[in-house]
Amino acid sequence: MSAGGSGAAAEAIPQNNIIAFGVAGGLIGIYAAYFLVDMVGQYMSFIGALGAICGMIWGAAAVRRVASYGLGTGVPSIGMLALGMGVLAATFGLAVGGVAGPVIALITAAIIGLMVGVLANKVLKMGIPIMEVSMTEIATAGTITIIGLAISMTGTFDFPVILSQVITTGYIAVIFIAGGLAILHPFNANLGPDEAQDRTLICGLEKGAIAMIIAGIVATVNEGASGALTILIGLALWYIGFSGYYDRVKRDAYAVVGSGLLPSKEELE
Amino acid sequence: MEPLTGMGVLALMGAAATIAGASEDLESDVGSQSNPNSQVQLAPQMMYPHRIHSKAVSGEPPSNALMCAIGGTTASVLITTGASAALALAIGAIVAAAIHGTYSATAYMGRSASQKRFKQPVYLDVMRSHIPVIMGYAFITTFCILVVSYLMATVLAHPFPLPLLAFIWGITVGAIGSSTGDVHYGAERQFQNVEYGSGLNAANSGNIVRKAESGLRNGIDNSWFCAKFGGPVTGLAFGMTVFLSGWITTVFDATKGDAIGWVSVIAGIIIVLILILWNRNMEVAARAAYGTYKEDEAEAEVAA
Repeated sequence: MSAGGSGAAAEAIPQNNIIAFGVAGGLIGIYAAYFLVDMVGQYMSFIGALGAICGMIWGAAAVRRVASYGLGTGVPSIGMLALGMGVLAATFGLAVGGVAGPVIALITAAIIGLMVGVLANKVLKMGIPIMEVSMTEIATAGTITIIGLAISMTGTFDFPVILSQVITTGYIAVIFIAGGLAILHPFNANLGPDEAQDRTLICGLEKGAIAMIIAGIVATVNEGASGALTILIGLALWYIGFSGYYDRVKRDAYAVVGSGLLPSKEELE
Repeated sequence: MEPLTGMGVLALMGAAATIAGASEDLESDVGSQSNPNSQVQLAPQMMYPHRIHSKAVSGEPPSNALMCAIGGTTASVLITTGASAALALAIGAIVAAAIHGTYSATAYMGRSASQKRFKQPVYLDVMRSHIPVIMGYAFITTFCILVVSYLMATVLAHPFPLPLLAFIWGITVGAIGSSTGDVHYGAERQFQNVEYGSGLNAANSGNIVRKAESGLRNGIDNSWFCAKFGGPVTGLAFGMTVFLSGWITTVFDATKGDAIGWVSVIAGIIIVLILILWNRNMEVAARAAYGTYKEDEAEAEVAA
């Protein structure tokens, strides 16, 4: 029994590898974008979105793990919670941290996530064994998503620029919801007893690419960042994600048919 | 601003919101999103495979917030580059509808593929026929929400920027569509095979109607049914929400002084009280007219 029931989800890729991929990929993406935009040119801002995609895939994997303990309608809520904690941690970290901002934001997110996880298990008595770890992961993944998408919109994570070009202009709303859906949708879309980890995660890549395209659209009006490359790479990643997802659906489904009637009684038995 | 201009803008916003509410509900019905989705998901597990689209993007509020925030963001970027507002809002809505289409596709394929052991096939023609309809409704919803948000941001000089207003109205239209319209689809349409008003017996879980007036039932049949009542009533509910919440501050403009501001608060409370009393009377009148479920009485007599 894997996802959708009430037990630990089957994992082909160990979660620790995905955590390493999310944290390392996310931070490398964020810092590479920050420094390369200064050194090479503003068109390097797309790397920030690549870092954000690492965060979103990690977030989707963490949601998948914790939601496998029978959280049916709770899946969307957990995705929104991830970005809610992320916004708090990202704005705090970037406001006080300077160049170390993203790292401080990640540590803050981990602390907030751990607190929420402890509250959920100890006070609300949800009794999910991996709640504390998962909440920490989800909050941190949400923070990487927000900072990564913000830097690909603006080309920097300097707080005054983020404040004026992302928060005051309202684009934080689309970061919040596109990032949140990229984290919550993959598991929600694949919920069921025959869910498979790689199918869920490649759906995360595809949704992350959509968030990247949107970040690219916003980057076209900001001086510090360049949108064209971000949009193009986003479209390419979306195509890879969607065709990979469709291949896995064909692999996993009972049947993929052009059209047809319902399975007969004999077939169902 | 002239009070008359304010009322005119408010009327336009109310009209756009009414259309947005109706199209939002019908869009969610085509794909069986939100509450009725649990039965669509459950059906194959109870040996009832079906040809109904399962659009498990997320709850309606987040998915509509996504559409509207993407539309608002794209429109805002285009307006910054000097495009006309009408064109910007339309292009924003097209981008949002296209992205919503990809979400609908992954949700249907994923949910069906995860039901392998219950032998639920993935029907590609269900996707080909339903997703354009979903995208069409999503375009209408997003465009109308963007009109409401744009009028608020520019004419009514709301302090929030366009993407944020669109995001907030997206959540609101999703929440109202989920709470108002779903009842009509979920309780009445999915379980037309049980007696009206009998509630959902646990033994009937997943036993949704899978055969249509002609052929096998699909999501487009469901939107046809819901367009008769569920969609329009959701439109009215959302239109009233937008109109009445704007009306109190347009008529009693808080910028003209604290006293008038408080009058607008009191007017809001009075409207809420009237609506509560009206709803209560409607419920009492309906119970008096239709009574309790008859089979319960018969069972009670047998038991006695």
